[in-house]
Amino acid sequence: MFHFQSFDDDCTLEEEEGLVEEEDEIDQFNDDTFGAGAIDNDWQEEHARLAGLDERVRDEVDGAGDASSVDLSLSGSNAHSSAPPQPSSSSRLYPSIDERGGGDLAESLTHLILGSDPAIAGVGAASSDRSLRPLMLSGQTPQPSALAGQSSLLLSYQQQHQVMHRGPAPLSQDKTLMSIIKEVGLPNRPPALSREEGRDFSERVPPPRSSSPVIGSPPVRAVPIGTPPKQPMSHVHTQQNNHPSAIQHVRASMPLRYPPPFPERLSPNNLLSIASSPLSHSPFPAGVGPVLSQIQRAQLLNSQVGPFQRGPAPPLLQGGVGGFRPFFGQSGPRVGLHGPPLGHAPIRHNTTHLHPQHRRMLNQRMQNRGLGDHVGGRGVGDRKNRDPYSNLMTQREKEWVARIQMMQLQSTDPYLDDYYYQNYYEKMEKRQERDRDNRKEHTTKLITPQVAKLEHTYRPVQFAGSLGKLTVSSVNNPRKMIDAVVTTRSDDEEKREKQVWNKRRQILYTVEKMYSLLLEVQDFEKKFLQTPEHQRDALLEQHKTHMVQLYNSLREKEWDDRVSDKQCLMIMSVRKGKRLISRLLPFLPQPHAAAVVMGIARNLPALAKKDKHDQVLCWLVEPVTTVIQSMSSTSLTDLLQELQGSEGQLPLVLQNKFGVTLLYLILSEGERMQSSDPNCQLMDDNRWTELVFSVTRELLKVPSSALSSPLFTPPNLVSLFSRYVDRQRLELLQEKLQITSLTR
Amino acid sequence: MLFYSFFKSLVGKDVVVELKNDLSICGTLHSVDQYLNIKMTDISVTDPEKYPHMLSVKNCFIRGSVVRYVQLPADEVDTQLLQDAAHFYSEEKSLDTWP
Repeated sequence: MFHFQSFDDDCTLEEEEGLVEEEDEIDQFNDDTFGAGAIDNDWQEEHARLAGLDERVRDEVDGAGDASSVDLSLSGSNAHSSAPPQPSSSSRLYPSIDERGGGDLAESLTHLILGSDPAIAGVGAASSDRSLRPLMLSGQTPQPSALAGQSSLLLSYQQQHQVMHRGPAPLSQDKTLMSIIKEVGLPNRPPALSREEGRDFSERVPPPRSSSPVIGSPPVRAVPIGTPPKQPMSHVHTQQNNHPSAIQHVRASMPLRYPPPFPERLSPNNLLSIASSPLSHSPFPAGVGPVLSQIQRAQLLNSQVGPFQRGPAPPLLQGGVGGFRPFFGQSGPRVGLHGPPLGHAPIRHNTTHLHPQHRRMLNQRMQNRGLGDHVGGRGVGDRKNRDPYSNLMTQREKEWVARIQMMQLQSTDPYLDDYYYQNYYEKMEKRQERDRDNRKEHTTKLITPQVAKLEHTYRPVQFAGSLGKLTVSSVNNPRKMIDAVVTTRSDDEEKREKQVWNKRRQILYTVEKMYSLLLEVQDFEKKFLQTPEHQRDALLEQHKTHMVQLYNSLREKEWDDRVSDKQCLMIMSVRKGKRLISRLLPFLPQPHAAAVVMGIARNLPALAKKDKHDQVLCWLVEPVTTVIQSMSSTSLTDLLQELQGSEGQLPLVLQNKFGVTLLYLILSEGERMQSSDPNCQLMDDNRWTELVFSVTRELLKVPSSALSSPLFTPPNLVSLFSRYVDRQRLELLQEKLQITSLTR
Repeated sequence: MLFYSFFKSLVGKDVVVELKNDLSICGTLHSVDQYLNIKMTDISVTDPEKYPHMLSVKNCFIRGSVVRYVQLPADEVDTQLLQDAAHFYSEEKSLDTWP
């Protein structure tokens, strides 16, 4: 979890003051702000002074092989990486430098860099040092005028960087050396600076951050949110501990304001996934320093294909890591590693956190598009190498902000927090599996990052001896602004409510309650698979209770097993209720389901009338079909009878689409029974025959206009009718109902 | 979190975003975050003559608070699932988690 570690570093530097008593901390600030420490910081003077250091620094370049100073600046300047590996890595690296003679190497490198390109040699050399100094200075005192000066210097610095990469072309094979060059290139400057500034640190104004990141900042590791970290974090900068001043200017030098020569615009998502992804085979030993890891990242990105990001990438959870062409592009020079512009590459290259189904869809889409429109916008990459507004925030700061936001998205239970997304893609998977049954490529399980749920209690920040508590609000513990109290309405007011809506609300309320139960029932299977053995019985019990409750709500009285018409009607009068019933039917046991369907048939005219507005009765067709097909012959006959019901019901039924469909379903099921099983009981009493007769009579009597077309026509109706009616009538029927024996 | 989850499932689809300043932007939804800020790629403005400054813009980032409507492809949305999700959230099994 290197990003957390790097966070350490950030906090640590401020944390040094926390080592001292907190009162001293305030006092120190006070002093510097109001007391003797406060000095009018005229940047121009500073600049001139530091520029004057140029001469001295250049002399010291050769002596930069000093391991300890390099160490200092290295660990200061590369605060991204995991803190613990650093000392070992640096110690491992630098012996190698020392072997070659540190000073010699630095010298040769400088010559190599600056000498190879004559154009640069003149300009770059002179301005590079100067560029570095104010860059670092501006890190401390960002003032608008500094930026203007910075832009031109930035340019030259970028040029220098370009050379740095183009220069050691022969060395490009040796990646280790390349990285060393980069590392060594940097520390040349800061040690000189630190030595100089160390002397007059006491006069320095503290960094211009108005709010210390300590207070109210998101916690590192498992510390409750909102409480300032009390104990010092473990860190690398042991050598800087004793000298508080060292911290300050290490801080200054640490966020080195140079545009990274390779893509480091990684959202925390990126960082997380790349760090933890199995793809991260690094060509370098694991302990190598942070600059290398950045190269590593860069190469990874490159290998995964994609234009590298540049500029601040807002931490959006995306279909991939956006290789977004940014607008405030901090466009560093393209690294030689990446070669020519990656024109055709798709934008996304990290989809590991997505559902596998989603990922597949996106890749398909990318392929379809990427081949087609090769982006003309690739020309974008070539313009705008200079950006006066880059580097306002360091990489660390950006990551810090991004991490705050991403932290809020961590979830302990993705199925709960991310309900829609997870289920949608599961459904899609099932759908695709249904469509192509023989393919076996999927069934990949979604691996979501699970975070242990931490107990977050907010303890307000306190300083010993201060009066009251400090009101510090942060992202995670916002200040309480309003004292909202819940008041329940009195009964009188209830009565004054619109009477009309009461009933409807009641219905809706019932429906909602049933819905909760239904959802539980639907998820039962999933949960069942997940719970361990011993808890399964309890789950089963729970499931049964749910089912009972559901059915109870359909019944009128507890002891009466019949489905209450009134209740059913009530529920079905609402669109949502109809939906509910249609989803519920598959789960009900057979007798209950049959009872419900009977109830529906019995009250079909009323239902049809109420449905005139919504027209959603047809949702019920599918589950009803299933129920009918599992009915016995007697119940089927009963059902048909119910459908016909009282006098005049059938015409009404026929007028309604669902009614007609239902009728056909019943008839077709009866026919199926008869044809498949010769001794079926359907013909035992005359009821069925009589009923069919009456149906046919009605069908013939009813004018065509009053007959609505069903959702689908079962194929065996013709054979059914041919049993019962004579030829003439059969033909009439066929014509009327537009069914022929050839239909499917 | 409901609509964040919802929009996540729409990533990669074509949508039209209408902003409160009456600008309508059509493009592919690239990413979304918990504030419903939207990033879109390959955008085109529905009325290019009225907004000539958008001619060269290919990608954009839209702050969530300025969105008025998001027009979605109907077949990419499962309304039943959305209703169920709303049901879950209304119950709020654990009330003190991030919404």
